[in-house]
Amino acid sequence: MKHTDLALSRRTVLGAAAAAGLGATLPVWAQGKDPIQFATLLDFTRVYTFLTDEYSQGQQDYIKLVNLEGGVDGHPIKLIIKDHASYPERGIAQYNEAKAAGAVFFDFLSSPVANALMPRVDEDHLPMIAFAHGRADAADGQAFPYVFPSAAIYRSQAALLLKYIDEHEGGLKGKKIAFVHIDSAFGKEPIELLERVAKTKGFELKLYPYPVPGTEQAATWSEVRKNRPDKIIIWGAGPGQAVSIRGAVTNGISPKDIHSVLWLSESDMSAFKGNEVVGVKRVTLVNTGSDNPILKRIIEKVITPGNGSGDKKRVGWSGYNIGVASMAIAVEAATLALKNGGGPLTGEKLKAGFEMIKGYTADGLMPPLTITAQDHQGGGQGLISEWDGKRWAPKSEWGSAYQDVVWDLIKEDQAKAKEKK
Amino acid sequence: MSYFLELLVNGALTGLMYSMVALGIVLIYKSSGVLNFSQGALVMMGGYAVWQLTEWGLPIWLAAMAALVVMFVFGLLIERVLLRTMVGQPIIMIVMLTLGLDVFLRGFGPGLLGTEPKQLDIGVGLAPLIMGDILANRTYAVGALIALALVVLALLFFRTRLGTKLRAVSDDHVSSWSVGISVERAVAISWGLAGLCAVAGGTMWGAAQGVDWSLTALLFPAVAVVILGGIDSIVGALLGGLIIGILGSVIPGYVDSMVGGSTRDVVTSLVILLTILIRPYGMFGREDIERI
Repeated sequence: MKHTDLALSRRTVLGAAAAAGLGATLPVWAQGKDPIQFATLLDFTRVYTFLTDEYSQGQQDYIKLVNLEGGVDGHPIKLIIKDHASYPERGIAQYNEAKAAGAVFFDFLSSPVANALMPRVDEDHLPMIAFAHGRADAADGQAFPYVFPSAAIYRSQAALLLKYIDEHEGGLKGKKIAFVHIDSAFGKEPIELLERVAKTKGFELKLYPYPVPGTEQAATWSEVRKNRPDKIIIWGAGPGQAVSIRGAVTNGISPKDIHSVLWLSESDMSAFKGNEVVGVKRVTLVNTGSDNPILKRIIEKVITPGNGSGDKKRVGWSGYNIGVASMAIAVEAATLALKNGGGPLTGEKLKAGFEMIKGYTADGLMPPLTITAQDHQGGGQGLISEWDGKRWAPKSEWGSAYQDVVWDLIKEDQAKAKEKK
Repeated sequence: MSYFLELLVNGALTGLMYSMVALGIVLIYKSSGVLNFSQGALVMMGGYAVWQLTEWGLPIWLAAMAALVVMFVFGLLIERVLLRTMVGQPIIMIVMLTLGLDVFLRGFGPGLLGTEPKQLDIGVGLAPLIMGDILANRTYAVGALIALALVVLALLFFRTRLGTKLRAVSDDHVSSWSVGISVERAVAISWGLAGLCAVAGGTMWGAAQGVDWSLTALLFPAVAVVILGGIDSIVGALLGGLIIGILGSVIPGYVDSMVGGSTRDVVTSLVILLTILIRPYGMFGREDIERI
């Protein structure tokens, strides 16, 4: 019996498939309960390539751990893994296949695909997670009952950076803040929040878009330097992020004044030598490193016996741990759903499970997550980490920022969407 | 004034980095008459080859040297496996084949070696080159010097006996065959040479931005460079690169903040359009006049 459906010709995923096949012989099956199917239909090959291998590896390793430890109420979890390459039409086809196969939970890790499928999952009553991707207004559980960002949306992340500058870097008032961003929907998403907070906090905001894919930014950084900002916020993903840091530092900007969205990984930072970028800050939604009970159990029970799903060195990296956290949230929801509603697990029960999550931290891996029927973001908490030359070291406590502004914008987005209809 | 000069200098350096990619397209066209749309993917593969060799413990410059051999052989293989089967086919089919090769390599490279960006450390730090009030990117400066060296080498190569044979093949396959020139070998060598350019481009662009699929996007500015400079002109690749780089730096440097968007790709697209409308064979390209 096979535990993982694969539509990928990728070394890492094939390795994972082999390891997942091993999982089929685990004692989990002794309990004789049907497997619960989770579909992770991701972009392994086009836009999110900077993240997906790591993320999926974390998801697979965590699910192997769950299955080794008895599954969810005795039900093993079967992962369906496919590559949609961020093409919505391919994502929709794969969603239909997975739904027909009995999947009750979905993860697309791609804003275009997630946005295309949000109305469908609501119609079909099948929950999806949208951890750090997808539409901002998906945070509103009343508008999108089956969509669960389950982590700080991008506007909440921008708010966290502003709050950190305000409280730890000499305040916002009178400061010049440069927002250097990729010229795409993702890059523009925080702008309205930044503008609103600029009015109330009295700082000057200047926007510097650079073209997709973000790999050439020389002119942008010359312009940034000309305007002498006090603080920089960079907002991109993939190779463009390292290019941004290189552009900033080359133009004499101190790494300590650079602040980034979540997507700035250990892999991005490995491009730099010694202390040349020590001090760069980043939003963190999930702790990095393996000093966590869940990670320790993964290493002990999955990695050490040789059943890991990919490169060992990634265990504990940012993307890997985000993958672990995304699955930990889904498993917690499934556990609560079965505990309160009994089996078999349906989409409706799983939705209810998500909305029962209260103060869940995945053994300290992430901030306390409380999801309600209204708030599917779960509070918008995160912390700010600083690159110390080797790792991302936390510089603040878990917390949220300017959530009143975030929610005002969500409501306005929905009002605009209704007008369009 | 210093701001303008800085945009100009950094634009010129970036443009010379584009020239390095464009040179691969020019060499293949000049040697075999084929427009190679897979040069962006070859640059990516060149970057991957250097990265993989450094992962196996070679120092970066030794890895780059070894990658030159690897990519030259890879170029020969492309000719042997793909292009030789297309002998006698219409040129458009061969161009389509290079597009197919681009798509294939874009999936194959990352699929084989992992999709996350790989970092190449060429030993050039983040400290800028300081020229008065002007700061320039040191990595791009090194890349620009390598691009200039490649252009000189390419010009010298086409004055050699072998280079002359390759030009003859580009002009007319049948006539070349009739005088005893091996067309297949000439085409293979041209792809091998493009492989060498790909290593230079992959190493320097890889050092600037990391090695991943996005290196294939360099095809767009490289095509703009060869259209502007002339698809069969090495000097055109150099000057075309400079112009595309400078325009793509100076204009966005002044206009982006006014229009609230990044205009560099718009500028590049306009250059392509205007060149095709006004001077279809580019600044230094050969204008063929045919009797009909």
